[in-house]
Amino acid sequence: MRDPDVTPTVNADDRARRFETGLSLVGLGLVPRLGERVSDALLARLLRQLAARHPRAFDALREMQDARVLIEPVDAPVALMMRVGPNLSLHALRREPIGACALAGLGEADAVIRGPYARLLDLLEGRIDGDALFFRRELSIAGDTALILALRNTLDGEEMDLMADAASLAGPLAGVLPVLRRNAGPVLDRIEAARRLLPPPLRRGAARLEARLSGLVPGAGPGAAS
Amino acid sequence: MDNFELICPAGTPAALRAAVDAGADAVYLGFRDETNARNFPGLNFTRQDVADAVAYAHARKVEIFVAINTYPQAGNLDPWRKAVDDAARLKVDAVILADLGLLEYAAKRHPDLRLHLSVQASAANVEAIRLYCDAFGVRRVVLPRVLTVPEIARLNAEIDIETEVFVFGGLCPMAEGRCSLSSYATGLSPNKQGVCSPASHVRYEPRGSALASTLGGFTINVFGEGEPAGYPTLCKGRFVARDTPAYLFEEPTSLNAMDLLPELKAAGVRALKIEGRQRGKAYIGAVVRAYREALDSFAAGRPVPRIDLQAMVEGGTQTTGAYTRAWR
Repeated sequence: MRDPDVTPTVNADDRARRFETGLSLVGLGLVPRLGERVSDALLARLLRQLAARHPRAFDALREMQDARVLIEPVDAPVALMMRVGPNLSLHALRREPIGACALAGLGEADAVIRGPYARLLDLLEGRIDGDALFFRRELSIAGDTALILALRNTLDGEEMDLMADAASLAGPLAGVLPVLRRNAGPVLDRIEAARRLLPPPLRRGAARLEARLSGLVPGAGPGAAS
Repeated sequence: MDNFELICPAGTPAALRAAVDAGADAVYLGFRDETNARNFPGLNFTRQDVADAVAYAHARKVEIFVAINTYPQAGNLDPWRKAVDDAARLKVDAVILADLGLLEYAAKRHPDLRLHLSVQASAANVEAIRLYCDAFGVRRVVLPRVLTVPEIARLNAEIDIETEVFVFGGLCPMAEGRCSLSSYATGLSPNKQGVCSPASHVRYEPRGSALASTLGGFTINVFGEGEPAGYPTLCKGRFVARDTPAYLFEEPTSLNAMDLLPELKAAGVRALKIEGRQRGKAYIGAVVRAYREALDSFAAGRPVPRIDLQAMVEGGTQTTGAYTRAWR
């Protein structure tokens, strides 16, 4: 039974979503550390997986003119270069240090889309409206606007669940995800309740540890420079 | 008295499902070509998509309207006529047309096809509306966003076809169907090619901490750091006149007439339209759900709830536009 004194400020679904987002950010941070060949192969497999699940969108992406879009989460250690057109591909680029705007090789992008990682993920899955993000200046774009619009409209035309799609790459572990999702919210609520009972020094220590684990502290997390 | 019909936009099949599932009474959409006024990259429906949309919507007692609301070009009528023919073949519930010649074609070729007059036709007086009704059997007119509620009431008292008005979304009230601002800057026409401020001619450039938007090489706005941004349309550009930057035509703001449901009902309006075929399915779902809730409350005689749609509006501001004409 839930402790009546502890009322979560965020509902269980939001908390589970934050957990998913943090987990995927950690996963993304690991990709370039695998080396270019392995990370490219992994991302190619992810694209194949997505294409199999969303053939309409991926056919449309392949029918576009050859072009490159840099997808740059401003709070993540990694950016993604997506090539659309017949040679559809995805390539991870390490951003060092985190927060720097310029990336090596940026010049080859025809368009750039920048925003907080969680917002970009919500956008990709159609959970949030891109225009609304743009109006609020949470999202910025540069370069070929038509290319970004085509990409946005094509992906928004799908009902995409990137976590489930990415998890399916993990083979037998893929079956664990629905169970994790069902339970993540309530479990995280309990962790949050327990955290509030900690004395302040321990609470601050736990917050620092979480930040390091999610790769948001430069030089400390799995997504940072090795 | 009948309830309002809620007419909702869809630019993609996923957006269509979002609109239907959120409570639309009808969804309007366009084919993937120059025959509709939202001809943007990656947007709109193939013929097969429309067939699927009709099946999905009709199974849930929702209607499908197809907007064929650009103006055919001399010597190239085929895409527009084919769009009308295909809409009829796919058994959509209505087509939304603006061009006189196309209205005549549809009325003669498909006498059972329900015709709605597009807002692009800019029919805003009794005589014009009667002409469309008498000549082509138009069953509904979508009124341009230039009329006050009392003007709509007077109009409805004198015509015997249904009227539909916009209640949420972008404003385009200067001269719907007659605007040439974007054509001037880009050489491409909203009324002929269906592209207002085509993305191919839009650029966003950081200028220090500010963001500049350009259209066809013209700088049309510079948003300061943290200032809410708007669409890159020339009519919502900010220009310097007598050393003062100001919005000379329109401001980046969105229409929201949810507070006016009683007045619009008293004025005899039949259907309420949400704008935004270019918006994502998250917008469609949120706005349609909000309006469904408001209309259901209104129909049941309960107070219309105050639903926060601030996050969805352009430039971070909302207006009741010409309906209340607060600037007079």
